[in-house]
Amino acid sequence: MQTPVFLDHLPDIDAVAGQKPAQYRLERNKALLELMLDQSTVWHDRNACPACDQDTTQNPFFSQTMMEFRRCMNCNSIYAARVPGQTTIDRLRLDHIQARAADAGGDREFEFTSLLNWISLTEARLERKLDRVLDIRFATQAPAWPDATERLSHNRSWDFLELTPESDDFSALEAAVAKAAPKAILMPAELDRVADPAALLSALKAAATPGTVIFVASSCADGLEYEILGADSPSFVPLDRLTVFSVKGFETLSTKLGLQVLEISTPGRLDAVILDRYFKSAENTAIPFWSSFFREADKNRLRDLQILLQRSLKSGVLRFVLET
Amino acid sequence: MGRIRHDAMDRHGDFEVVVACDTEIDPKATVPMVTDPMAVYEYNPDVIVCSVPNMMIPDVVCTALERGKHVFSEKPPGRNSKDVRRMIAAEEAARAAHGGLVLKFGFNHRVHDAIEEAKKLTDAGTMGDLYFMRGVYGKAGGPNYSQNWRNDPELSGGGILIDQGIHMLDLFQMFAGRFTDVQSFVQRKFWTDVPVEDNAFALMKNADGIVASVHSSATQWQHTFRLELYMRNGFLSVDGILSASGSYGTEVLTVALNRLDATGSPIPNPEQQELRFTEDRSWDKEIAEFHAAVVKGTPLVCGTSQQALDVMELVEAIYAADPEWSTARQSTPQMAME
Repeated sequence: MQTPVFLDHLPDIDAVAGQKPAQYRLERNKALLELMLDQSTVWHDRNACPACDQDTTQNPFFSQTMMEFRRCMNCNSIYAARVPGQTTIDRLRLDHIQARAADAGGDREFEFTSLLNWISLTEARLERKLDRVLDIRFATQAPAWPDATERLSHNRSWDFLELTPESDDFSALEAAVAKAAPKAILMPAELDRVADPAALLSALKAAATPGTVIFVASSCADGLEYEILGADSPSFVPLDRLTVFSVKGFETLSTKLGLQVLEISTPGRLDAVILDRYFKSAENTAIPFWSSFFREADKNRLRDLQILLQRSLKSGVLRFVLET
Repeated sequence: MGRIRHDAMDRHGDFEVVVACDTEIDPKATVPMVTDPMAVYEYNPDVIVCSVPNMMIPDVVCTALERGKHVFSEKPPGRNSKDVRRMIAAEEAARAAHGGLVLKFGFNHRVHDAIEEAKKLTDAGTMGDLYFMRGVYGKAGGPNYSQNWRNDPELSGGGILIDQGIHMLDLFQMFAGRFTDVQSFVQRKFWTDVPVEDNAFALMKNADGIVASVHSSATQWQHTFRLELYMRNGFLSVDGILSASGSYGTEVLTVALNRLDATGSPIPNPEQQELRFTEDRSWDKEIAEFHAAVVKGTPLVCGTSQQALDVMELVEAIYAADPEWSTARQSTPQMAME
């Protein structure tokens, strides 16, 4: 198993703390509130950590604002204590994407290139052609993505599985994956948003032929932003973070489902700039070491910290390469 | 080196070391020991592992082959290309006489994890055509530098280039094939009490137009290994090389594919992937390849006698390409080996 570190420029803090991201968070929180106020919503209690099965009663609260979230004492994953059905989640998400369609542009070219290069370099290291890739729902989330694959991804054909309201067992998705028969699956924005990540992964495993390589990305509970800011982190949007896996948690789940873990990384680039803004922008409570660390930090120090976090698998995004 | 090889064979499990030869008998040795190299044949080994100074390598290798033994030999393969040709002739004669004999040289850098990963990336075609390579391999002399046999040209054939830089040259040829057009500067700056170079700089080109530059140094006070490959679609580098001393650091493979702007031109400073390797498995891989060649007849990929000849000819070409050094080398009996 390999643990690559992804080195790049530090992003602009406005990527998460600007007006547009703030608006996005408000809209998603509004949707969650409406969902909670809707008496007809059916909720499923999670009696155990969705990553490692640790009994929920043993896991302390991570947040009780709006929804109850727990942090697993065993694997460090963060998860909502109850979740709506998958169909409901998908409908809400689709409504939101469609409502923001006019505003969905934005320059995500570097993000797209990073995903494509990730696949290309992994393919080379595995010494195996991954020339037929199935994208799971990212094309719906990021409408410019299919065009990017056409321009930038040569010698590879792409299928795009659009976001549609799914059943709790992802049976339609499973059938679509089986029909596409991909050599690789890319799923960069689903794990933290679905009601039952294990059911999603199980559907993929059941549908894909043995040897299919799955590229997964998600938010990561081991990230320093979550460790210090907790639920105050601007990355923590409850409806989009129903499960925030830790590295240990996701590795445990993958192994339990019979998936082989080929590669683990935490390529998040935002921890340092988020914390830098937090400590410099307000009269925050003094946190030993970190308060002075960030108040005195320049860009070089922030970049060094972000690289250290990645090398330590402690940044706020995780990527796994799995094999069925 | 003999102990390192012995340990690797023990880890492999399918070797039985029947005798060891050294200048002195080690009272703590766990296998029979002799001091006369010819005495090892009384134990009727199948394989000879040759970990001796450069000037002894041809005799030991040729004798072993003549006696029908498989041979694993350290690098450099003797002191010059003449030595290698002699061993190749012995190898061919031994194969004709005994059939299926294996001669492998220990160019272990080829099988370091970071280098193997780099080779996978270039072989896959993802990175595109190779344009140029840069290599720096250097150390801070070493203890008893002037007394060390490695710096006596009669015994070693040269200085830092043939001792350490040869690994970098071997890697260049692994990635790009043979280099024929060579320019160089070969110097002796700090260690002036020995007649071998302490720095060699070379710029070379192969038939495909791929350019490579190497700097092999005994005055690189900070131990350094760095290999860079630049290709059409990006670049990769290997920083550090795992060694017994650990003084060259862990191996870090960095690779990047270019990001393109709207016109298709590369945008500077692309995202890089960094992979760290912390376990030196090269010794075990070499022994495993040698074992497979001996037992199963699997063709050698690394450390063939042809690769040994190619790299030794490149070493000689670098020495010869600096007119000042070449003239001095020819006029000094100790240095005029070939």
